[in-house]
Amino acid sequence: MDSAFGHDFISDLPQSIIETILTKLPLRDAVRTSILSTKWRYKWATITQLAFDDKCVTPSHDRAVAEINLVKFVSRFLFLHDGPIHKFTLSTSYLQNTPEIDQWLLFLSRKDIKQLVLELGEGELFRVPSCLFTCRMLARLELVRCEFDPPPTFRGFLSLKYLNLQQVLVAPEVVESLISSCPLLESLTLSYSDSLALTVRAPNLKYLILEGEFKDICLENTPLLVAISVAMYMTDDIAEHFEHSSSCNFEKFLGGVPCLERLIGHIYFTKYLSIGNDLGKVPIMYPRLKVIELYQVSFEDMKEILVILRLIVNSPNLQELHISGSSNTSAATECPDLEFWEMECPSDCTLGQLKTVKMTDMSAVPHEMKFIRFLLGNSPLLEVMSITPSIYVTDGKLNMLVELVRLRRASSQAEIIFIQDQI
Amino acid sequence: MYPMSDADRQVIKPEIMKSYIWLQTADDSLQEVEQEVATFCPFICHEIHKGMGSSKNYPISLPQRVNPGTLSLILDYCRFHQVSGRSNKERKSYDEKFIRMDTKRLCELTSAADSLQLRPLVDLTSRALARMIEGKTPEEIRETFHLPDDLTEEEKLEPLRNFADDPRIRLLNTLYARKRKELKERGKPKSVEVEGELVDDRSVDDLLSFINGGTSTVDSFGIRTTPCGLVLKRLNHGQCCSVFMGIGEDLCTPIWRRSDSKGVRASKSKKKNRRRKDQLKHAPMSCSTVNSTSSSNNAIDIHKESNGGDFICHNSKVHNHSVPVLCETLKLQDIEDDRFAPEDELDDLDPAMKEIIDREVEDFARRLNSDWHERIQELLSLDQERRPLPITRPIYNLRSSPCASYFRTLLLALSVQSGASYA
Repeated sequence: MDSAFGHDFISDLPQSIIETILTKLPLRDAVRTSILSTKWRYKWATITQLAFDDKCVTPSHDRAVAEINLVKFVSRFLFLHDGPIHKFTLSTSYLQNTPEIDQWLLFLSRKDIKQLVLELGEGELFRVPSCLFTCRMLARLELVRCEFDPPPTFRGFLSLKYLNLQQVLVAPEVVESLISSCPLLESLTLSYSDSLALTVRAPNLKYLILEGEFKDICLENTPLLVAISVAMYMTDDIAEHFEHSSSCNFEKFLGGVPCLERLIGHIYFTKYLSIGNDLGKVPIMYPRLKVIELYQVSFEDMKEILVILRLIVNSPNLQELHISGSSNTSAATECPDLEFWEMECPSDCTLGQLKTVKMTDMSAVPHEMKFIRFLLGNSPLLEVMSITPSIYVTDGKLNMLVELVRLRRASSQAEIIFIQDQI
Repeated sequence: MYPMSDADRQVIKPEIMKSYIWLQTADDSLQEVEQEVATFCPFICHEIHKGMGSSKNYPISLPQRVNPGTLSLILDYCRFHQVSGRSNKERKSYDEKFIRMDTKRLCELTSAADSLQLRPLVDLTSRALARMIEGKTPEEIRETFHLPDDLTEEEKLEPLRNFADDPRIRLLNTLYARKRKELKERGKPKSVEVEGELVDDRSVDDLLSFINGGTSTVDSFGIRTTPCGLVLKRLNHGQCCSVFMGIGEDLCTPIWRRSDSKGVRASKSKKKNRRRKDQLKHAPMSCSTVNSTSSSNNAIDIHKESNGGDFICHNSKVHNHSVPVLCETLKLQDIEDDRFAPEDELDDLDPAMKEIIDREVEDFARRLNSDWHERIQELLSLDQERRPLPITRPIYNLRSSPCASYFRTLLLALSVQSGASYA
């Protein structure tokens, strides 16, 4: 096993291993291996996963210099590269609307590119050239700060499984048709594309992440959806739209997701769902739903509470629940609809699998306490309920505690953890 | 398995009922392993499905790259990881300890794991090997892996493609070119050695950036792109190249030309250089800013003088450069100063011009020795002064000029300091 001291034991490893090793190096170091020995001269030139970022060039005081250097680096590298390129990542703050990127994309489109990540700097948006839309084998596409405008002949990426568009300037109907024309799409992320009214038709979609100012979201054909995370921001426009909306958003959104396992909603999402909500004539069940996280829920709005209840009651296998209150509520003295909890609340509902509950940003609003009471009373397997008061609540903490202590618990294992000073 | 009576079976605990399989390594040695451990390797799993391995007579033949030592390591790894109850933290810490072995074994392990298709182990070991390469100098890497330093003289002296734009590689290339030249001209008497220490401890980057006005870069082929978009190329046999300068939005004008080659050299020539530098310290190179004159003329001139005919020089508009830009190649003057470019025809300088140049040369030297920022300030202010300076004879041959040598030695000394590891 021990050969002579001078024997080289790495250069003869199969190219696939060498490529694995070189891919785990920053690109500069990978290129530098070319001066190690004869065998290493061009080992770097056939790696199929390229990741260019600002570290590829020496940092410079002058931004223009850095830009030029990076452009040259990438161009030269691509020119000397040999063989297919499967993954190309360009993540830089130096380049924005640089014309050379068009050429690189043209080059890549001829190289069977499968994964493309383009993350450009602030400033003028880079307009994605039409050659990108000819990449047949594209399975993963991530664009940050670009302008996306497919040619009219574009028929979709037939292999695309993962799509992530952040701060991308794109027309709403383009987004919709793009989603529909990618039949294998499994994961979709849309951030900060303005004021979209979005209808999602994606029969294979499993993961959906939306963030931004959405007027309307309709999940029309997403039977396989497993996880949803939505953060909805509000503008005056949208608020007005909400007021005049007549449809039941809950059903539009959560009407066709039987495989849903995880639901996360931020900011105005619960409010969005509450519009037109009527607890449903025919309840829609979510048998696989295990985790619900809803943030910025306004416990003064009965309708939002109804949304949560509707979700909980129809999810027999729910295990984890995180609710975060809306911290701009003042502890209201008068509280409408309080009798709901006695009258209409389904009292025979058992949350059979609920184990963990986290209530954060609690402002000691009466509805909150009633809700907690409801949970405690109907969760026989509950293990942990942690409650964190909002930082604005100063005097109300003691009252909260007093009320909490009184509440009946259906589960003998349940621990109630009151988190006081959360930094 | 041994024949058992019913009574035996009832007494025997489940662990003993574990099935074992037989593995055979390339050296024909057999090993018996618990099936659940071995099936963690996809290769072995497939073989078992084919029906192999159940008895001593039909062992699974492992690929040749797996020797008994690495096999036992791999089985240890499998034995740990196939247990499902472990936390990620546990696994990570086991992995960290696991890969602590000498480099040779690590390479063998990677190879063996790859042949058994055990991807997680390949990734783990590859990452460890990558860590040994990242950030290290070539010598260190060669030592770690026992790589032969076997790039032939010619190959080494081939200019490296310098897409990292690493100044060290740039200087390394100049060094190689120098050596190449030397190899060709063996037998020529070498000049007297020189002592002298350049106390300049600025980084190479800084200095070169300044020379280039912070805006042009050069690569090993001698292709320098100036901010004006000019391409300066080293001619065949390193005879001539031009130095251009541009101001404002005017077209660039060449102001001097000098024969060049990649000048930075190792120890022997260093001494030569130093002496020359010493002599000429007081007459450093100049860089004068020039107003535009007819650029096409200059281009033609250069073409006439070009040696190998592969000289490309074109002017283009400078965009918004208010700072006078000194664009120069890094190719320092050939040590064999006596060899004049045969095609060179611009030997004569009018004395007046020479004076101007000398003055500017002194200026330049002074500036080189002052602080970077001060320099920039000066340049900016000087720009106003110099603008009106007319130069009628824009092309000069500075082959024998002291400034060129000064520059050369300056850069050489810096390279010695910063590029010592490559020498």
